[in-house]
Amino acid sequence: MKIVVCVKQIPDPADPGSLDPDTKTLKRDVKLIIDESDSYGVEMALQLVDAAGGGSVHLVSMVPNREVSGLRTALAMGADSATLISDEALAGSDALTTAKVLARAIERAEPDLVLAATESTDGYTGVVPAQVAELLGLPSVTFAKEVAVSGGTATVRRQTEAGYDLVECPLPALVSVTAGVVEPRYPSFRGIMAAKKKPVDQLGIADLGLEPGQVGWAGGGQEIVDVAAAPARESGEIVTDEGDAHERVVAFLDELKVL
Amino acid sequence: MRFGLDGDRVAFRDAARDLLARRCGPEVVRAAWSGPPDPRPWQGLTEMGVLSLMAPESSGGLGLDETFLAPVIEEAGWAGLPQPLTATALVAAPLGVADAMVATDLGGPLVPGAGYAEAFLMETGGGLRLYRRDEVDVEPVDTVDRARHCGRVRPTGPGAAVTADPAAAARAFDRGALGTAAELVGLARRMLDLAVGHVTERRQFGRPVGSFQAVKHQLAEARLQIHFAAPAVTYAAYALANRLEDASPSVSTAKWLAGRAAAVCGRAALQCHGAIGYTVEADLHLFLKRSWALTRTWGDGDHHADRVASALGL
Repeated sequence: MKIVVCVKQIPDPADPGSLDPDTKTLKRDVKLIIDESDSYGVEMALQLVDAAGGGSVHLVSMVPNREVSGLRTALAMGADSATLISDEALAGSDALTTAKVLARAIERAEPDLVLAATESTDGYTGVVPAQVAELLGLPSVTFAKEVAVSGGTATVRRQTEAGYDLVECPLPALVSVTAGVVEPRYPSFRGIMAAKKKPVDQLGIADLGLEPGQVGWAGGGQEIVDVAAAPARESGEIVTDEGDAHERVVAFLDELKVL
Repeated sequence: MRFGLDGDRVAFRDAARDLLARRCGPEVVRAAWSGPPDPRPWQGLTEMGVLSLMAPESSGGLGLDETFLAPVIEEAGWAGLPQPLTATALVAAPLGVADAMVATDLGGPLVPGAGYAEAFLMETGGGLRLYRRDEVDVEPVDTVDRARHCGRVRPTGPGAAVTADPAAAARAFDRGALGTAAELVGLARRMLDLAVGHVTERRQFGRPVGSFQAVKHQLAEARLQIHFAAPAVTYAAYALANRLEDASPSVSTAKWLAGRAAAVCGRAALQCHGAIGYTVEADLHLFLKRSWALTRTWGDGDHHADRVASALGL
């Protein structure tokens, strides 16, 4: 079984990021790491290949400046190979353009299953996995908390507000997994050393049959007109206990859907 | 010339740092004061390959050297890992002793980890022997850092010879002193991090106390000591790995400087925390007491200053 995992490399969320005043986008010229939400997809893929008794895990990542440090982390965890798409023309790409680029790269790998995170930690659009599935004409299953594969069928427990849906779909398919779905393994030192020798195929947009005018700022449908600081947090509601405080707390939590 | 860590060494250190950040928080160190230490950080380090990093490839190790392991041990120092990582991975593993948590009396008569180690590497007449847990008597001794469960260890069984070569035993001591120096640098960094965190948050006269010169100068001085000690540790690891002539005095220089860095950082951190620093509830004391204990083991400051002096013919 061949599984492709979409892996985004992002600036370390622990370091305070900054915006480029010209483009109003996040500066990405710092060291990039693997988006933690993607490490769940990598772990899930490794487990599925193990369970299937064989196969391979291939990573696909679109990134500025041919950065590979985040990919190396995923390769050290046990992924077999990677495709890196890096091209100056891609700067400013919106979600749909990103999906088009990823879809072309994924197609080349001819996977049985594509895994992605639900959303990235730095962009939060949450639409790329579904767009990739649509572009590739694959069934799309979102918010997976458990995935099993057998006999050309994926069985997915799909997280919902009330519990979960049990979904079956034929392969190939694209499944986006939620954080915490599995515990990502720590790369071993042996894995870190082996990762350096694993193949990383570096592609530009021409390799994917795309023109500069179709991608980046030129090809995107988005325009960032303004960026403003998030409004300061308002003071909370103070509940004075007149015997019913617990009910009001429960009602409040219920409204937030955390119960 | 740039003298520092490169590719794999940085990757190993960062991987260990990440694991320890998740599995060995201050609550884990604190819990080890009143019970056996949480096994999960140790398991993680084992699976990662830290314990067998220096074990020969013939026994399933990676066969790498001190320059790879010392930065990892510095991270264990930062985290305050209770278990004897230096003794196991840096002292015992290169001698072919693998697959067990090893405590040793090479660093001093009070054996750290004696309360829970699986094997004991003991100095006997110039050589080294390895004893299983059921081949020794352990008399627990309360020390300033209770997380390490120190004890006096007396062999009662035959044990197995590890080496009869006094030179190999001397190198094992140097490796232990190196690891302890690396831990001390990590501890110095941790105490400084805690102090900086505290003085950034704590406000007086309408501003963070860290903005006052008397505070920030003290912390800058403490940081300077770390910058003196850390390269000495890196060089000592390099000298040991390459069996350079100045390996032993380099280890002594590193241990002495690391002890001083930990002392200066500890004192500055204690003062900058105000009265809170004196309480057992403050995390600082976990690291402060570890640094006091480590400074005095594997040769104290005088011992290592003497070794440097005699190497210089003074």
